[in-house]
Amino acid sequence: MNTLSTIIFLPVITGVVLSFFRININLVKIIYMLVTSLVAYLSIKLYINFDPHSSRQFVEFHSWISEYGINYHIGVDGVSIGIVIMNAILMPLVAVALYKQRDKHGYWINLLFVQGGIMGAALSLDLMLFYLFWELMLLPIFFMIGMFGYGKNHFMTMKFNMYTIFGSLMMLISILYIAVKYKEQFGGYSFDLEALKYITLTTTQSLLVFSGFMLAFAIKIPIFPFHTWLSETYESAPTGAVIVMSALMAKLGAYAIWRFLFTLFNETSHFLAPYFISLGLFGLIYFGISAMNQTHLKRMFALSSASHLSLIVVGLFIYDVYGLIGASYLIVAHAISSAALFLMVGMLYERVQTHSIKKLGGIAKVAPKFSLFFAFFALSIVGVPLTAGFVAELLIILGAFHYNIYIGFVAATTILIAMLFMFKMISQVLYGDVNDMTANFKDLRTHELFALIPLALLVVVMGVFPDYFINKIEPTAKSYLSEKKVVNYDK
Amino acid sequence: MTNESVALTIPSLLLFSAIFILLFGFSSYYSKERGYYLTLGTLLVTSIISGSAIFENYSIEVIPQIFNGMLIYDTFSAVFISLFLFGGFLTLAIAKSFIDKTKFFTFESFSILLFSLFGMVILSMSNELLSAFISLEIASISVYILVGLNRDSLKASEAFFKYLLLGSFSSSFYLLGMMLIFAQAKSTNLDVIAEYILHTELNSQLLIVAGGMLIMLTIMFKIASLPFGAWVIDVYEGASLPITAYMAGIFKIAVFAFALRLFLSDYSAFEMIYDPLIIVGAVITMIGGSLLAVIQNSVKKMLAASSIVHSGYLLIALASAGAGNTSAASAIIFYLFAYFISALGAFGVLSYISKGGDKLINYSDLDGLGKKSPLISASFTVFILSLAGFPSTIGFIGKFYIFTSAIEAGYTALAIFGALTAFISIYYYFKVIVHLYFKDSVNERLDYGYKVSLAFIALTALIVLWGGVGTSLLVDIPGINALNELSRDAIESLAL
Repeated sequence: MNTLSTIIFLPVITGVVLSFFRININLVKIIYMLVTSLVAYLSIKLYINFDPHSSRQFVEFHSWISEYGINYHIGVDGVSIGIVIMNAILMPLVAVALYKQRDKHGYWINLLFVQGGIMGAALSLDLMLFYLFWELMLLPIFFMIGMFGYGKNHFMTMKFNMYTIFGSLMMLISILYIAVKYKEQFGGYSFDLEALKYITLTTTQSLLVFSGFMLAFAIKIPIFPFHTWLSETYESAPTGAVIVMSALMAKLGAYAIWRFLFTLFNETSHFLAPYFISLGLFGLIYFGISAMNQTHLKRMFALSSASHLSLIVVGLFIYDVYGLIGASYLIVAHAISSAALFLMVGMLYERVQTHSIKKLGGIAKVAPKFSLFFAFFALSIVGVPLTAGFVAELLIILGAFHYNIYIGFVAATTILIAMLFMFKMISQVLYGDVNDMTANFKDLRTHELFALIPLALLVVVMGVFPDYFINKIEPTAKSYLSEKKVVNYDK
Repeated sequence: MTNESVALTIPSLLLFSAIFILLFGFSSYYSKERGYYLTLGTLLVTSIISGSAIFENYSIEVIPQIFNGMLIYDTFSAVFISLFLFGGFLTLAIAKSFIDKTKFFTFESFSILLFSLFGMVILSMSNELLSAFISLEIASISVYILVGLNRDSLKASEAFFKYLLLGSFSSSFYLLGMMLIFAQAKSTNLDVIAEYILHTELNSQLLIVAGGMLIMLTIMFKIASLPFGAWVIDVYEGASLPITAYMAGIFKIAVFAFALRLFLSDYSAFEMIYDPLIIVGAVITMIGGSLLAVIQNSVKKMLAASSIVHSGYLLIALASAGAGNTSAASAIIFYLFAYFISALGAFGVLSYISKGGDKLINYSDLDGLGKKSPLISASFTVFILSLAGFPSTIGFIGKFYIFTSAIEAGYTALAIFGALTAFISIYYYFKVIVHLYFKDSVNERLDYGYKVSLAFIALTALIVLWGGVGTSLLVDIPGINALNELSRDAIESLAL
């Protein structure tokens, strides 16, 4: 079996096998660690062997449903490599951090399923295959929130599920529509991304089809008016699910914009870009301000994620080489930091049984290591220099200034806003007086340190030596711009 | 065996077994066990015989000297006959526990079941309005009786009476329609009528158009499409669970088989007249079915109501098939496969966990089943996902084909409407999953016994999954492509 198929199906198959046997939970965790580490190893090898100058690599192609031209077509390129590597690295670390907290088979099995699903969605180059994985990765999250969540989790998991499926179904109709158009123009069905980009649509058609796709992605990310599921779902979801949703699934939505919309509907994307830039900028500020007013830690981080994801959307739609690189860099950087933060929120909840910011305080005095890491990751999200977030945000803001000076100015406020809500949260949670709740706060245990240190190192390395990582994506970003005959700002 | 002998063997075997059980039932050697296995054996043998005949493309008249072209055995009918028989086999196999624990499955019920299958087999072979009517009535009357099997239950008797009354009433429309068609075309043979329609000016065919509408009315009634499907919920509720599965999964398909033959061979010339009607019917069916399904508290009634919605999807494809593309017609057949296997599974699970009681299974009765019996819940989840059209199940592929063919025929709005209906269906289907896995209950792990029934449920779940992802890349078992080819062959054989 080839590498890519292995990293998609190894977790899924393991999950299926595990769900048939009632074995000891410790054995399940060991198998989980082995499988995810193997996937991580394969993905890192993939990343090192990845040649930035040729486009699609490690391609696999098999015919699946022949009559409708649906193929099992997967491959990796500069757009998807970031998501793949993030997914592979985060999953074993999540287990390292959480293994003492979670003793249910379903939790680990669902995490395996979701890893496979996200890998599949990120690697698919065929629209039906993509749709399959896109929907499938929802199911484990649905189960995780429903079975292991907090509060009104049954209601929230239904709401989240229906919200997302609504978007997906509209995307399905769009996919089918362009496939039928392809058949009309070329005489046979195809769902292959490479083939479909040659279709011609009238303006109205492409606008409608574009909105079908965009609806699915906008809900997943979420972009401004489609965020109403966000904070409550994050609030009731268990830590593992929150990490997957914020660090990976939301990013997958941003990735899909680049992968599918920019490839298939380049002109329409250009035409609509100003609207999405404004939506993104509005969301950036709106989510930032809402984050400031939250008293619930998870809701606050949910909104802060949404704020940064809006920045990613802006970075994508300004159609600038800096913007694209910055957006894909921020996808990775924010994934690491937000995963680490949500992990730490999970640890915090385990210790004090609360998510309320108001009830906390003075943790810095009793748990210095915890506070150090917590502050570090929070600052990396803000984009303090020497962290990965800084590089990414700087690139996007630069791109925005290229695009339009006012847009650049507004985009730059992201750092300011993020600083406001992060510092407010840090000052309330870490500093202040020690109260009854936090007096017995235990500092980080060894296994928790083992999970957080690699992430922290990664953040620093990506912040100090961005060249190695940028080189992997730069040719792809440039190719997207030159292919589309857009003014290219060469360095 | 030649195809003609297959065509003769199957109905005669069914008939023979039915009559044999009827006689055998009076002897002292008869026990429920023996009657059950006799029926099961007959269904297994006939479905194997019939299954061997679906792999080539042909169309033959069955003994034209006697039947004068009334019956046609082609790939189309072979596919459907195999479906009925296999479905009957699965229903019975899953329902073993139900049948054992209830008193009302007497020997007559087995022979009536075989009679109804006999009717459906002939119905799918009929190439003539009169023989179609007779076989439809054989099947319908048998099903009426099956609905009322449980004489002690007031609900079942009510359902029986309601179904009998409305069903007979609707059948009379068929007779009237047939008479009108005969008055103009001077024949009841579908080929002759098709010939007549083709060679006569369309404007002067008023009687044929009117007759077709009346026949369509009966068909809409039988497939439970709104506004003629109001009986469904009460009847499905009153009937015992295996019979509900049988009606939803198999009887509906039989009627659809005849509808397809009728509309594709004869009425494709009138698509301007019929398409709007079918579209309106589809929209009303989907809206009404969704509303009905959303408000139900009982899982059985929800599945009954959602079967209305599935008829709506099929009507979308029927309208698109009218617009003259063969892929829509084969999409219908594929969707019928998909719905048939998923519905059989879902109702089968219900009958398995009901342990023979006629109590309605509410959502809350499913609480915590995921912990109590994992295999049952996992299979139930698979069926539910398939009915909801979730990817990686056969139900998704079915919806995919239907929506694609609708868009191809130019009914994009209808496809979007179908997607919205599918969205609503997520609510009531996923509610089942919520109750299965998320709600706690105090009961300990339950053992329902009947490992064979359980094995068949699991097998059905595997078929559902394989139909959604199946590919010859992994194992050489016929998967999506084979089913696809089969449905296309079936449609092509209609034109032979």
